[in-house]
Amino acid sequence: MPKELVAVVGVGQTKHQATRGDVSMAGLVREAATRALADAEMTWSDIDAVVVGKAPDFFEGVMMPELYLADALGATGKPLFRVHTAGSVGGSTAIVAAQLVQAGIHQRVLTVAFEKQSESEAMWALSMPIPFQPPLHAGAGGYFAPHIRSYMARSNAPDHIGILVALKDRLNALKNPYAHLHEPDISFDSIKDSMMLWDPIRYAETCPSSDGACAMVLASEAVADRSTKPVAWVKGTAMRSEPTMSADRDPVLPRGGSDCAADVYQQAGITDPRRQVDCVEMYVPFSWFEPMWLENLHFAPSGEGWKYVEDGVTGLDGDLPVNMSGGVLSSNPIGASGMLRFAEVALQVRGMAGDHQVPDARTAVGHAYGGGSQFFSMWVVGADKP
Amino acid sequence: MSDDPGVLSAPLIIEYPFSRTTGPVIGAFLTGLREKVLLGIKGSDGRVIVPPTEYDSFTGEDLTELVEVGPGGEVLTWAWVRGPMAKHPLSHPFAWALVKPDGADVGFLQVVDAGSPEAMATGMRVRPRWGDEREGSIHDLACWEPDV
Repeated sequence: MPKELVAVVGVGQTKHQATRGDVSMAGLVREAATRALADAEMTWSDIDAVVVGKAPDFFEGVMMPELYLADALGATGKPLFRVHTAGSVGGSTAIVAAQLVQAGIHQRVLTVAFEKQSESEAMWALSMPIPFQPPLHAGAGGYFAPHIRSYMARSNAPDHIGILVALKDRLNALKNPYAHLHEPDISFDSIKDSMMLWDPIRYAETCPSSDGACAMVLASEAVADRSTKPVAWVKGTAMRSEPTMSADRDPVLPRGGSDCAADVYQQAGITDPRRQVDCVEMYVPFSWFEPMWLENLHFAPSGEGWKYVEDGVTGLDGDLPVNMSGGVLSSNPIGASGMLRFAEVALQVRGMAGDHQVPDARTAVGHAYGGGSQFFSMWVVGADKP
Repeated sequence: MSDDPGVLSAPLIIEYPFSRTTGPVIGAFLTGLREKVLLGIKGSDGRVIVPPTEYDSFTGEDLTELVEVGPGGEVLTWAWVRGPMAKHPLSHPFAWALVKPDGADVGFLQVVDAGSPEAMATGMRVRPRWGDEREGSIHDLACWEPDV
């Protein structure tokens, strides 16, 4: 059965920063949501359903925050869905919202994702002591560092690739007023000289801890056709999952990510992603994940992702810009980080990305991953109606 | 935990700190308690809600009009606690009660220190008993007592 068309007609986000001491968790979510509604030229009463996502509840210790956020999300008398898929949740939340429109159930769906890291201890929440097991890592970096080492060994990538990614993303962030990190003095050497946290991941190659939220209004074809602004048509959505501890999987270049990409490209009619995709926002919390995901998502041949970084292909002025907004490396409100990737590519194909706009971006890919590199969510958006 | 010597057991204690940002509405309410002032907020239908909420429960609109309520109030309904437990707010018998402060249109769950259930009645008047050391917490309002 064919799906109904769905488009992004409104995008909103907060200024991401270490501590939003001026707003409650509800106020933070609300800020992004009201901006998305304003962009969509809608009010709360126009919305048919709300889909909210965030990373694990125990990060902030507010269990099932969707209960307490129902009024802040304007959900009274409407369906309210909560989504959780760890770090990929921002992406999968947007996909659930899109599917409610694709299924013909709703015309206008508000989707929101957030994290208030200043109220939480995400690093220690991710490092719980497990009885009878040695404490192997502290925080996500400790978990992912061996994956990066493995990638470097397989691909013979030189040590400085991660530094180049971090430098690019932080310079891109200077063009994005919503980005958390604005470091005008950052340089190759300042990144190289920053503290080694989880070898080979340096401090400056690591995402920050941010308070922030992102929201989008997704609309049916009939509603999107009436929009006075450019809209981003959703051309494909896909998700894949893997079991965390299975010895049969490759967490460095996971099959789930590869299959997710192949699925979403097929839906969007993309046969040569390197040529047909104008720009990408991918989930890069530690610098080295850019070359790894370039390969996993079929943009680069196996073992050559790092060469794209070195050759400047993924720069804002390269021919496959990646993380134009500054990416997760420059803002990481965890639950929102995946949705920010999805929302940023919507802004790109709408021509509304401001100083980090890729000229004439027509087709763009948003990507998020989560858990132990085990949950993947992606979408392709385009300026042209499918 | 198992007493079977063949089964290993170990404690799993997970703890790390959390903090909360209260925002402009709940923050004002808690700051008010420190100053012995009870604040509610005007809803979209004109009713005064206490404690104040940031957003209207019916329309989802922002609520901003804080209103001072009390200091006296009325008991809407109540339940007597004959045998307080260790974590109860009072160590002697007391009432849990929905107290509607004067000027508010809704009640909120509070403690009434009335001595005996015979001293409790729906519709009775109560007044707040403030804590001596107040720090901007709900516990600044220690309890209520009969206003006779």
